[in-house]
Amino acid sequence: MKAEAEAMRGDTGAPQDTTTSVLEPLRSGPGAYLPGRRRAVVAVAVVALLAAAPLVLSPYPVSAMTRMLAFAVLVIGVDLLTGVTGLPSLGQAAYFGVGAYTAVLVGVHITPDAMVQALAGLVMGLVAAAVTGWVAVRARGIVFLMLTLAIGESVHQVADTWSAVGGSNGLAGMPPISLFGGPSLLAAGFVYWWVLAVAALVFAAVALVVSSPYGRTLRGIRDNEARMRALGYRPALARYGVFCLAGAVAGVGGALWAQQARFVSPGDMGFEVAALALLSVVIGGAGSLWGPCLGAALVLFVRDSLSASIGGHGPLVLGAVFIAVVFLMPRGLAGLTGTRARLRNLTSARRRKENAS
Amino acid sequence: MATHLVSVLNGLAMGSLLFAIALGLSLVFGMMDVLNLAHGAVYLVGAYVAVALVSDGAGVAAFVLAVLAAAAAGAVLGALLAALTRATTHHLDQALLTLGVALVVAEALSLAFGNDVHSIAAPEPVGGGVTVLGETYPVYRLLVIGFGVVLAVAVYVLVERSPLGSVIRATVADRAMVAALGINTGRVLVGVFAAGAALAAVGGVLAGPILGAQPGLDEKVLLLALVVVVIGGLGSVRGALLGAVLIGQVQALGTALLPEYASFLVFGAMALVLLLRPAGLLPARTGVHA
Amino acid sequence: MTEPLVTPLLELRGLTRSYGSLTAVDDVDLAIARGERHALIGPNGAGKSTLFATVAGTLRASGGHVLLSGQDVTSLPEADRARRGMVRTYQHSSLFLDCSVLDNVALAVQRVHRVAHRFDRAARRFRHTEAEARRHLDSAGLSGRARDKVAALSHGERRQLEVAMVLATEPALVMFDEPTAGMSAAETERFVALMERLPEQLTVLIVEHDLDVVFRLADRVTVLHLGKVLASGPPEAIRADEAVQRAYLGSARAEDLFADSGGPR
Repeated sequence: MKAEAEAMRGDTGAPQDTTTSVLEPLRSGPGAYLPGRRRAVVAVAVVALLAAAPLVLSPYPVSAMTRMLAFAVLVIGVDLLTGVTGLPSLGQAAYFGVGAYTAVLVGVHITPDAMVQALAGLVMGLVAAAVTGWVAVRARGIVFLMLTLAIGESVHQVADTWSAVGGSNGLAGMPPISLFGGPSLLAAGFVYWWVLAVAALVFAAVALVVSSPYGRTLRGIRDNEARMRALGYRPALARYGVFCLAGAVAGVGGALWAQQARFVSPGDMGFEVAALALLSVVIGGAGSLWGPCLGAALVLFVRDSLSASIGGHGPLVLGAVFIAVVFLMPRGLAGLTGTRARLRNLTSARRRKENAS
Repeated sequence: MATHLVSVLNGLAMGSLLFAIALGLSLVFGMMDVLNLAHGAVYLVGAYVAVALVSDGAGVAAFVLAVLAAAAAGAVLGALLAALTRATTHHLDQALLTLGVALVVAEALSLAFGNDVHSIAAPEPVGGGVTVLGETYPVYRLLVIGFGVVLAVAVYVLVERSPLGSVIRATVADRAMVAALGINTGRVLVGVFAAGAALAAVGGVLAGPILGAQPGLDEKVLLLALVVVVIGGLGSVRGALLGAVLIGQVQALGTALLPEYASFLVFGAMALVLLLRPAGLLPARTGVHA
Repeated sequence: MTEPLVTPLLELRGLTRSYGSLTAVDDVDLAIARGERHALIGPNGAGKSTLFATVAGTLRASGGHVLLSGQDVTSLPEADRARRGMVRTYQHSSLFLDCSVLDNVALAVQRVHRVAHRFDRAARRFRHTEAEARRHLDSAGLSGRARDKVAALSHGERRQLEVAMVLATEPALVMFDEPTAGMSAAETERFVALMERLPEQLTVLIVEHDLDVVFRLADRVTVLHLGKVLASGPPEAIRADEAVQRAYLGSARAEDLFADSGGPR
């Protein structure tokens, strides 16, 4: 415990100012938000538009959109860590997988009730993050990235070898979901509406967290952790809290994913899923919530829909996108809007240089 | 007793390979804070080079050719990665770049070789077994252990005893200070990046007769290498060696006793080390590096 | 030296900090009364910044004690010292660059108000906290820039913001680390005016190179030389002190030593 405290303070006898400069300015999108009322109107309009999709589209694209929404929930959790708190994570796919496995196990053995499954996914995602997260939150920046990757991959390998959860075959045979004891929801449109409702709820909840005093605390940790300590904060606790929160969000996303697919396999929680979630955040602009959601839709579209028309080699395209994004879009989609964002982009690029020197 | 011996030997062979693979990852991380997420993909390139060049019943010549070809391919990829990551100073950007390269390389490999599991035969003269304390043990794996020992000694001499090594160690310890002394670390950094990648690719060839080649193997190997680096301490050669030997043993023991739970054991070992020594067992720098 | 009758707000007893074989702060005794404006000066490498960081808890003491209102805080981490009312500024402004100006001050206020980890409502709905943060911005003359990002502020404005942020923690002791370093004459003038308006009961420890600023603001001055206290007393006494003059003149001209910026860090 004492050693931990020492490690957190970074007290190694080195001049203290280095701790400040070591903190990386992570890419972040516009932190400013539209005024409350206008934002609410826009949000309602977007949800209404999305809700109308099954009325005009055939089941196949509706299923694809359902997957995008479930994936967007995972991405929101990654953004909470990466964009808001400045902790770039490659391990969130593990908690996404935990949520997915939980939902399938609950569906197969206990109840087809979608609500119960989603809640179980949330709780198990939270628990899994709480159990494994303390290892990761002691690190920052690129070490955090490495530790979350190691943890996430470990969980993935466990799922891949453990026969109790089907090993590399995964778990099939999940019955269709139902709501409030009603009949099974077989039509793609109904599943879509349920997933949309939950995704919107998660979006709203995370938006609330971001705008709350706790969200401000997280942004403070992202910008200048040494300063937070000097103001009397204990950042380790806040970091652990947001890690657990992001795990819960990922768990819900996983449950939704499994409810649509009615099947789960280790592939749903692998390196590629974690990488694509991070890519979505980066494409969308870390820190903004809507940008990464768009990024999620785009990434899944390339991987699943576009992939088929280019010989199944979506990852090739996505890999190239990764490289291109770093060079061409330093602030993601959200950074493309407005001159203010571009101005900020300039100042932060300058600051990056200062920090690097 | 004899079965334990087999497990220990398997662990040593695995440890030798892990040391070869993890060394580059650790040094690149230690020297420039670049997390090379394409390291597993580089390994896989080596494995597929072996698939292409080493046919069943091939002799030592083909195998040596594969090792050389893989080293060259790895070095080229490493230099490319070094050039890419030096284009930006932002560490998350650098990691994302390597991630992109990893996806592209892995996809290109499955494009070229398909998604089947390929096995690679050990070169003919050492393809047999030898009796060790009443148990038959593959000669090839003993050679891999020997390779690990030679590599460890060579790296020790290079890094701990040579002028080049002192630049490497000083860069790991305090990059700003080395730069302030007017030493141009650029070429050393690219060299270490390329050499580390070459070693990982060679590891892919050498591991071929043991692990084969298949899509997804890059992930598994990257994970093991990461765990080795975390356990040993970032940027530390001795740490990488200790971590590799430890994880090799844990893996072999786990596979022998509880095959289903081997991955639990690896994670458990990492968690235990992080709990007791957050900076790893033999850190190159004091304190937890942020 | 006069022994204070009441418990000093900050007391250092034999405080020592070494880096390996180098002792940067060597057995320093110091007492600062409540409400006192105390300046710490000394030639380059005297150990000012190290002493400062050791008092603040940024660095750990190798020996000796730091007492705040008579309570030993030597083993407490920086955050806990801040919670007890000791807050520091940094040589180079240390702010939250990607956050708004208001957020910077609000971060200090919400910690004091114990709402820093609440996420059940939007921050602007914690009206008491928001109002308090705006009040601090007002008194620092920054209310017009509440919504701007810190990255858009000038150097002088950042210093003002830092003072507002520090005061928002409701501190008993504020420690300024070379606050006027890199400021223009006009900015320095404005900063001194801001310092002179600080609440009377606030105790201030200031490390400063600009001797004009020191002699205008300080009630007492401590001179550090080679990690040890060379002299401590009212400004006039320090000016006249022969040992101080020798220490400064022994190696070079006084102006050079005082004018140079940058300590042992």
